[in-house]
Amino acid sequence: MDYLESLQGVTKNQLYKQPSTVLAVFRRMQSHLAKNLVMALLYMGRPIAVADLDSWVRPDSIKEREITVVQLERLAILSVVSNPGKPKAYSLTKTFANSLRLALTGGGNHLSFGVPCSDPYGDPISIEDLDEYAREQWESVLGYMVGNPWKPTGSKGVELSEAVTNLLAFGELITIQSKGRKAQITQKGFAFLLQDVNAQIWEILMLYLNRSADLRMERVEVLSFLFMLGSLELGQSYGKSNLTQTQTLMVGDLTEFGIILDDESSPVFYPTRLATTLTSDSGALRSAISSTTVEAGTPGFIVLETNYRIYAYTSSALQISILQLFSNLKVRYPNMIAGKISRDSVRRAVAQGITADQIISFLDTHAHPQMRKTNPVLPPTVVDQIRLWQIEGERMKTTQGYLFREFEDWQEYDRTVKYAKDIGVLEWKNDSKWLFFVHKHEQLASFVKADKARRAAEGR
Amino acid sequence: MPKASKGVLVECDPAIKAIILKIDQEKNEYIVEDLDDTHLMVKDSKVQALKAKLDEELKNAVSYPDEDDDSDRG
Repeated sequence: MDYLESLQGVTKNQLYKQPSTVLAVFRRMQSHLAKNLVMALLYMGRPIAVADLDSWVRPDSIKEREITVVQLERLAILSVVSNPGKPKAYSLTKTFANSLRLALTGGGNHLSFGVPCSDPYGDPISIEDLDEYAREQWESVLGYMVGNPWKPTGSKGVELSEAVTNLLAFGELITIQSKGRKAQITQKGFAFLLQDVNAQIWEILMLYLNRSADLRMERVEVLSFLFMLGSLELGQSYGKSNLTQTQTLMVGDLTEFGIILDDESSPVFYPTRLATTLTSDSGALRSAISSTTVEAGTPGFIVLETNYRIYAYTSSALQISILQLFSNLKVRYPNMIAGKISRDSVRRAVAQGITADQIISFLDTHAHPQMRKTNPVLPPTVVDQIRLWQIEGERMKTTQGYLFREFEDWQEYDRTVKYAKDIGVLEWKNDSKWLFFVHKHEQLASFVKADKARRAAEGR
Repeated sequence: MPKASKGVLVECDPAIKAIILKIDQEKNEYIVEDLDDTHLMVKDSKVQALKAKLDEELKNAVSYPDEDDDSDRG
């Protein structure tokens, strides 16, 4: 969404021509108020005056309304209509409204939700197969990141193409050593590994998007294809014939990540679960995939004791290297490793940019079934201690900025401080010493100057 | 006319501030302004050095239980 805000108006307008994009944007909206406003305005012929808009919102939530409207404006969903002589009014942008209406009620000949292929080309592919395929591809990408071609049990390792490795390197998740294709994972990459799958996919897709400019791909096409993916149905095949050249290229690239299943020779492609959960906010699907996807078939393998000892029943190098990030591993047996979480090991992880919450959620997600019998799953003492160890490293909080001092009188100080507070740059102030600290000064400097000039004029 | 000076605002609890003051006493090379009990202003270029010094100081001041305790007393 932030990315969308940063785009130019023209680009956004082009994007909003696709009903699927609009629907995806609508689904991703964070606030319910935003959804309400959009829905209310959708079938309204004329712009609505600001005063009327205010009357929809309870007086005590004016602030939320303010934030929502600004956000919608930035997304170019809401626009201000100003007629001379009439009060300020809002309406939905035309393209957005049209597309959303199309998306909700159907109709139109836009094909933006993909073209379902009615007669299956060759053998239809079952959902289980798709899940299996997505898991295999995604795991091999993760496996590649930790530097070993890790093979899921009972299948051949998947060879990753240069496009994939380049993308990972571009995002600084890995660095590629000059000779050979051996990858070295970076700290950023480790933090990436600890996220849940949906977040990982989004990060990959964002990288893909940022990179598309370098590869001379049309950004609008890339984006609308991504949004379209989110609205496809699992287990359904879709025709490739109506895709643009860029988008056909993307199908190939996304196949590597297991987001799409595609056979170059066939005219159809299948979205996998990784794709169809992209723009939905249903957690159930997400967790369904994370239990199958993230690591191996076993549901949980970690036992954490109250004495900070950790036992992991695994032989996968991926899991071991993740564990190694925040614990000291001592013994390794063929099917199990044992180690201990210590102050040093947690501090080390925190120094690498991994948060205590990430560690805890990782342990929680992969807790051994035996541990699931207790509630809470993880020993609270250990969880608290991990958090404490993290805070310990943050004994001092630092903020870059500017200290303002030597005000001539109280009024000058008071006005400036108030202004700083209003524009949200104030970090600290001391009323008795007439001192305050801000993290940005440009706006404030001009305010001080203007204020000075005004007062000089008044004084005369 | 008010003046603005560039620097880094450090927020910490009074105990940590006391340690920072002690570190600064040697050469006076870190602190620009002592603001109040929990705030200090520090030179831009010296923040990293100060952080390192503080970590060192804390390591000496506080002792932690043996990390390599391998017995089962836990």
